[in-house]
Amino acid sequence: MTESAAVPGIVAPAMNSGDSSDFIGNRRPESFLLRDDLQLLMRRLQEDGYTIVGPKVDQDAIVYGELTGVSDLPQGWTDQQQPGKYRLVPRDDQRMFGYVPGPHSWKQFLFPPSAIVATAQRVGSSWQMSTQDEPAPRYAFLGVRSCELSAIAIQDKVFLGGAFVDPHYEQRRDAVLLIAVNCTQAAPVCFCTSMKTGPRCQSGFDLALTEIDTGFLVEIGSERGRLLVEALPLRPAVSEEIRAGERGRADAERQVTKQMNTEGLHDLLLEQLKSPHWETVAERCLSCTNCTMVCPTCFCSSVTEVSDLSGDRVQRERQWDSCFNVDFSRVNGIPSRDSISSRYRQWLTHKLATWQDQFGTSGCVGCGRCITWCPPGIDLTEEVRTLRQLAESPQLTAAIGETASSSLPPNTAPQNTTEGRG
Amino acid sequence: MAATCEPNQNPWLSHSVRIAGITREIPGVLTLDLEFEDSARAATWAFRPGQFTMLYVPGVGESAISISGDAADTGRIRQTIRDAGNVTHSLTGLPIGATIGLRGPFGSSWPVDECRGRDVILVAGGIGLAPLRPVIYHMLHHRQQYQELTLIVGARDPALLLYPGEFEHWRTQGLNIIPTVDHADESWRGGVGVVTTVLERLWLRSPAETMLMTCGPEVMMWYTMQTALGRGIPAGSLFLSMERNMNCAIALCGHCQFGPYFLCREGPVFRFEQLRSILRIDDL
Amino acid sequence: MTLDAPNLLKMLASTRFAEGLTHQDLQSLGRAARLLEVPAGHVLFREGQREDAVFVVFSGHVRLSMKVPGRGDITILTAGPGDLVGWSGLISDGIMTATATTTDFCRLLALSSTQLKQSCDADPQLGYVLMKRLAQVISRRLVATRIQLLDVFAERRNHS
Ligand SMILES: Cc1cc2nc3c(=O)[nH]c(=O)nc-3n(C[C@H](O)[C@H](O)[C@H](O)COP(=O)(O)OP(=O)(O)OC[C@H]3O[C@@H](n4cnc5c(N)ncnc54)[C@H](O)[C@@H]3O)c2cc1C
Ligand code: SF4
Ligand code: SF4
Repeated sequence: MTESAAVPGIVAPAMNSGDSSDFIGNRRPESFLLRDDLQLLMRRLQEDGYTIVGPKVDQDAIVYGELTGVSDLPQGWTDQQQPGKYRLVPRDDQRMFGYVPGPHSWKQFLFPPSAIVATAQRVGSSWQMSTQDEPAPRYAFLGVRSCELSAIAIQDKVFLGGAFVDPHYEQRRDAVLLIAVNCTQAAPVCFCTSMKTGPRCQSGFDLALTEIDTGFLVEIGSERGRLLVEALPLRPAVSEEIRAGERGRADAERQVTKQMNTEGLHDLLLEQLKSPHWETVAERCLSCTNCTMVCPTCFCSSVTEVSDLSGDRVQRERQWDSCFNVDFSRVNGIPSRDSISSRYRQWLTHKLATWQDQFGTSGCVGCGRCITWCPPGIDLTEEVRTLRQLAESPQLTAAIGETASSSLPPNTAPQNTTEGRG
Repeated sequence: MAATCEPNQNPWLSHSVRIAGITREIPGVLTLDLEFEDSARAATWAFRPGQFTMLYVPGVGESAISISGDAADTGRIRQTIRDAGNVTHSLTGLPIGATIGLRGPFGSSWPVDECRGRDVILVAGGIGLAPLRPVIYHMLHHRQQYQELTLIVGARDPALLLYPGEFEHWRTQGLNIIPTVDHADESWRGGVGVVTTVLERLWLRSPAETMLMTCGPEVMMWYTMQTALGRGIPAGSLFLSMERNMNCAIALCGHCQFGPYFLCREGPVFRFEQLRSILRIDDL
Repeated sequence: MTLDAPNLLKMLASTRFAEGLTHQDLQSLGRAARLLEVPAGHVLFREGQREDAVFVVFSGHVRLSMKVPGRGDITILTAGPGDLVGWSGLISDGIMTATATTTDFCRLLALSSTQLKQSCDADPQLGYVLMKRLAQVISRRLVATRIQLLDVFAERRNHS
């Protein structure tokens, strides 16, 4: 991509259309930011001391990383996604946010894949233990989608909502500025409408942008957002721009075709814990952990010890972990979910059922990442559909059970799991 | 009912504790007496029977270990450890005077208050007696608050019974102790058989007024629950303590999940009713 | 050691073994029963020997053991109040599969297998009730044995 963010052939609309007081529902009136002026917003953020994180092209995908300016954005790029497949392709326009989220999510900045949670230093014959209390980075996230705002809200419940608050997440979360961008397109893997998380950003942002060919409709979501745009050359949006924005958002909504019926899903899944269908999924699942790594709400981690050479200084390093790892869960040292079927069951029932019990919300926002990035293309919405059918038809379950038991002895005693381990 | 680790403090912070005493219990198992190096922390330390801490050996790692001492004993923390793997091996090899880290206490506790005025049966298997010992101390300190108190304690063989040196004292204080082992020779005066066999024939004054707490291998606990239900003890009066590997102990790491629960938060002590529908689901 | 019939019946009725039996059933049982009071160390029967009585433990404990070559006398189970011992006499030839020794002062009800079997043959209704009760005892014993076999307290150690 070249440095030039100016888009030839696009003329800024006249400012005197006189319909600047357009209201969409009860929402605040939107203002308008010219495409060229996005760089002013970014500069302003940098001046305010923010590290800007947003979309960029890297290794054939649109990922999130630190941005130095507008030129880092994936202007003119988009993606094609389907179960197990992702492809970066050029657009025929110069949109900067004309893509659907890729393998990254914002969790990697609020809940870093690797972080030092504590340290121990040998002092004489004893140990001095402390926690890492260095200041957290101040991030401005640029380009947060509606489903991603929901994912952040879910992780807020995980890390901040319980009796124990994670200090690392808290510091980053308190400092972060969220500039959302409404989706104007969707991928075949998206199902935010089923999860009621999108595609339109409703709340939880400081600013929300809607990209149209000429620039951005700007919606202010907080006092911080208002202060931020004060210094920018915003003007009231004219009806033509507002309509273009509406059209874009409606396009996204229309393109979300995948659906998942969430009615009674919690009980349904927990009643299917003994379903033979888990074995069927396990025949395809590689237990590669991809789905958990790309999921914007998955939060599992492990702390390991990292010593320096002398062994006198130890850091306790927390790293992302996954329920798909065989020794993630153990009883008396023996893996408690030794089979892939039990691990897939744990993942799916946690996402869609027990998450409700734990955090009062679903653990899935319908972003579709786990579908796109699953090598064999396992689609959780399809698995849920099958489980629902099986729940409604015991005969079908029995039929599957027979085929499953011919290849895999179900319910065998745990001897085969312990052999060669203890 | 979860958090008793000090609020407003970084939950990842380990406090330095010094090993002030070591008691060798049975082969591979010992009890550490721990004292805080920071007297301020010592002054605020308190736990409820059934809770656990995360003991930390720098460079090796952390392990969840139940508190096996007396909650009324404020000067020190006693924990009984079995040498099972890396961390526990290291913990059981340290000399008196060594410093380790401690976070906690964490988790739910045994229903010692709910048990007031009732008959109480404790069923312990192997090292499962360790998390129940604080219950014994508590109930014997407040003996008049409880009716019949019975401890059924099982082990593989007589030499593997935990804390046998305290049995006589507990008996004189009003605890009916029935030890039973899987194997024994003629010299053993106690019973041979599993804890459920003992529970099967235990005289119950009033099953509806009886509370039962159990800790030991999951299979043992499951059959104990079945036997107790068969004897007419209500499901709501049965409690058990569960084990899964724990990493953070503060419901952030995901490891100890069991169905809808985080064992470190809703557990380790559960009312049987909470687990009844999921306890015997394979590989949950 | 004699006890008048009503008292013996009362004792029998209070055991777990007799829970839920009708008065009539109890009377049939009672006719075959006698009370036994023995000190600790008393051998009720020996492994490999024929024994006609089936014992219901009323109080005290009975050690069931087997001789294992090279390992001596191994206790396999301690029976206590309410338990039934020596029931092989009821279902087979009466050759005992274990040795039963009291470990403390015991009060037992000894029931004659021969007499019981006769009563059962004469009254299939009673036979059914009794066999059902026996099946329960055996099944409980089986579950206990299985748990014991699982060796749940086995320790695994694995240091790296
Ligand atoms: C709430 C709670 C309370 C606990 N209380 C106590 C307690 O009071 N005393 C105590 O000794 N332990 C207790 N445990 C168990 C203890 O936490 C684990 O044994 C310990 O963490 C194992 O860690 P490690 O590093 O020593 O073993 P690792 O190095 O992690 O394991 C290595 C190997 O050791 C073996 N192993 C590990 N853990 C166990 C186990 N629990 N049982 C059998 N084999 C095992 C396995 O073969 C494993 O592969 C408790 C656990 C929980 C969750
Ligand atoms: S489970 Fe899949 S679709 Fe749902 S939030 Fe996670 S990655 Fe997105
Ligand atoms: S469901 Fe797909 S992405 Fe998830 S572990 Fe299985 S193979 Fe990997």
